[in-house]
Amino acid sequence: MFRPRWQFFFVLVSLIAISSALAQDAPTGSLEVTGRIKIGKDTEKVTRKRFYLFRGGLAENKPLVDRLKSAKIVSRDCFYCNIKASREYIEWLKGGNCESPFCRSITAADIAKVPEFQAAYQKGVKQFKNKTDVATNWVTTNLSPELRDGFYKDRKAIVNGFLGDIKPVQSSMTDSVTVKAIFIDIAVNPKPGKSTETFLVSNLLPIEIGTKSYVWACEVEIGTNKIAKLTPAEAPETSKLVKKCEVIVRDLPVCDAGTCGPK
Amino acid sequence: MRNLLRVIIIAAAATVFAGSLIHVTMAQKSRDRFSHNTAAHKKKNCNSCHTNPTSNWVTARGFPDVADFPQHVACFACHTKDIYSGNQPAFCGSCHTVVGPRGKARFPFPVRTRTTEFSTIYPHNVHQDIIAAVDKRRQISVAHFVFASFVPADDKPTFNNCAICHSTRKDLPKFASRALDPKLRPLADAAPETFAPKADYFKDSPSGHDSCFNCHFQGLQPSGIECAKCHKLEPPSNPSATVNRYSLKFSHEDLNDRGETVHNRDCMTCHVRISQNADLKTMKDADVPFMACASCHADNFTKENNSRAESIAKKQPAFQCTYCHTTAIGRFPMPPSHKTQ
Repeated sequence: MFRPRWQFFFVLVSLIAISSALAQDAPTGSLEVTGRIKIGKDTEKVTRKRFYLFRGGLAENKPLVDRLKSAKIVSRDCFYCNIKASREYIEWLKGGNCESPFCRSITAADIAKVPEFQAAYQKGVKQFKNKTDVATNWVTTNLSPELRDGFYKDRKAIVNGFLGDIKPVQSSMTDSVTVKAIFIDIAVNPKPGKSTETFLVSNLLPIEIGTKSYVWACEVEIGTNKIAKLTPAEAPETSKLVKKCEVIVRDLPVCDAGTCGPK
Repeated sequence: MRNLLRVIIIAAAATVFAGSLIHVTMAQKSRDRFSHNTAAHKKKNCNSCHTNPTSNWVTARGFPDVADFPQHVACFACHTKDIYSGNQPAFCGSCHTVVGPRGKARFPFPVRTRTTEFSTIYPHNVHQDIIAAVDKRRQISVAHFVFASFVPADDKPTFNNCAICHSTRKDLPKFASRALDPKLRPLADAAPETFAPKADYFKDSPSGHDSCFNCHFQGLQPSGIECAKCHKLEPPSNPSATVNRYSLKFSHEDLNDRGETVHNRDCMTCHVRISQNADLKTMKDADVPFMACASCHADNFTKENNSRAESIAKKQPAFQCTYCHTTAIGRFPMPPSHKTQ
C-alpha cells in the first residue's frame, strides 16, 4: 500500500544522515598569521591585533578591499582629541599602546596624573562610602561613556560597515609571545585539480605603528596537508599591492591643542 | 471492636479529606527553595526584587554587590498569605535559617549548595578586543640583548585580561581525565599510575561579581542592574565542579631547569580560539589544539611516538604516552590531531 508519509520520512532521515556524515568528513586546514612585520628597517611586533579570514582571494573580495581603501578612519589619538580628552589621558593611552582605559590597571600614580581619572576617582570616593581601594580599582565605572567605551563602539561600527553582509570564516588575535594569530579547523574546499583553497586575511582596522597606519589584505593558500603560514607583506611607504597583499598605508594625523590634523 | 475500627477508619478518611481542602500554595510546598522559573517570577524584572548594591555590601563583600536576599517588600506584595500561614511558615525558609517572628538570620547569599537556575553569558571575544595586555618583557642579557619567551619565576607576567578572572588555584579541585570516545579501544591495560596534579596546575573561574563589577557596575553595558544580560534563566541544575582534562600533567606554573616559568605565557598562545568565542556554552573544554603543545614539545612527542611505533612493531604491549598524559589517556590510540602536525 502506498504510504507517502513513510517514504518522505525515510528520505528525510537519509538526507540528514548523509549531510551529517559529509560534515564530519569535511577536510580542514590550519593557518598561522605572524604579526612580525617588516616596516622600513625594523621588524615590528603586532601583538593583540585581530585578523579576519575570508573565503576567496583579492578578486573575489574586491568590494571589501575597495571599502578598506576608500574608508576615512579617525585615528586613536584623533578620536580622543575630538572628544577633548586631556593630553595626559592621550599620553596614558600611548604609554601602554592602549585603545581604552580597560587596557591596563590604573594605578594611584595614574590617577594623580590624569585629570579624567582624578575626577572619576573623586566621584567614586563619594559614591563608594570613602572606600578608596574600590574608588581606585573601579575608576572606569565613573568615566564618561565616550572615554570609557566610545573608541570600541566606533571601531565596531567601522568593522560592521566593512563587513556588511560578509561573514568572516573566522577571526583570531595575535598573542603577545609568539606574535601569531592561529586559525584551526578551517573547512577547505579546493577547486578540482588543486590541493589548496584561496583565502583572504585582513586586519580590517588600521594598525597604528609610528607615524602611519596599516591595513593588510593578503591572499593565502590553505590546504589540509600542512599548516599554512602567512606573514603580511613588508609595508611600503605608500599604499600598493605587494606580493598578493594589498597594503593600505595612511599617515597618522597629530592632535595639537585639541584639534587633529596632518603632521 | 468492629464498630470502633469503623469509627477510626471513617475519622481518618474524614481528616484526610478535610486536609485536602486546605489550599496550600506552591510557595508553601517549596519549603526552602525559591524558584525563579515559576510563571509569575519569570514575568518580573530582576530589579523588582534584587537591589544592587545591597545595604550590607561593605561588610559582606567590601565592594558594591548583590550581597543579600531581597527585602521583605519584594515578597510581601504577592505572598502575604504564605507569610502569615501557620506558626513557622515554610515560605520563609527560602531565606531565613530560623523561621519565626524574631528570626532574622539568613543563609549566606547566594546559597551555593542549592541548584543553580542560571547560566552565564560571557563573550570572550568582545573582552579580548577591549582589554589588551601590555607585554613588557624583560630584556635578559646574554652577551647581547635577547627577548626571551620565558621569564624568571619571580617576574611572572600577569595578563591583564585573563588574569582578571582566572587566577592560579590555591586549593586542589576535583579532577578527572577527560572521557574519550566510547568507541575507542585502549591499546593496553593502564600501567600503574602514581601521578597526581597539584592545586597550581589549575586556574579558577569567577564565582562572584568582583571581577565583573570593577568595569560593569554602572554605565558600561551590561551594567550591574541589567542582571538578565549576564544571567540567563535555565532549568535548575547542579553543574559539576570536576575539572576534566586530556592532560592532567600540564601545570600553568611549570618551571624549567633554570627556574623560569615556561607555561605562563600569553593565554592566547595556547588557548588559540578564545578570542573567537562568544558563547561559554560552546566551550566544552580548554580548547588547546595539539599544535599549540607541539610548537614547544615536538621533540618529546616524536620520542614518545617512536616508542609507541617500536613497541607495536615488536609486538610488545603498546607504549603508553605519559610525557603529557596519564595512562588513562596515554594508552589509547593516537588521535588524528597528533598525526597531522
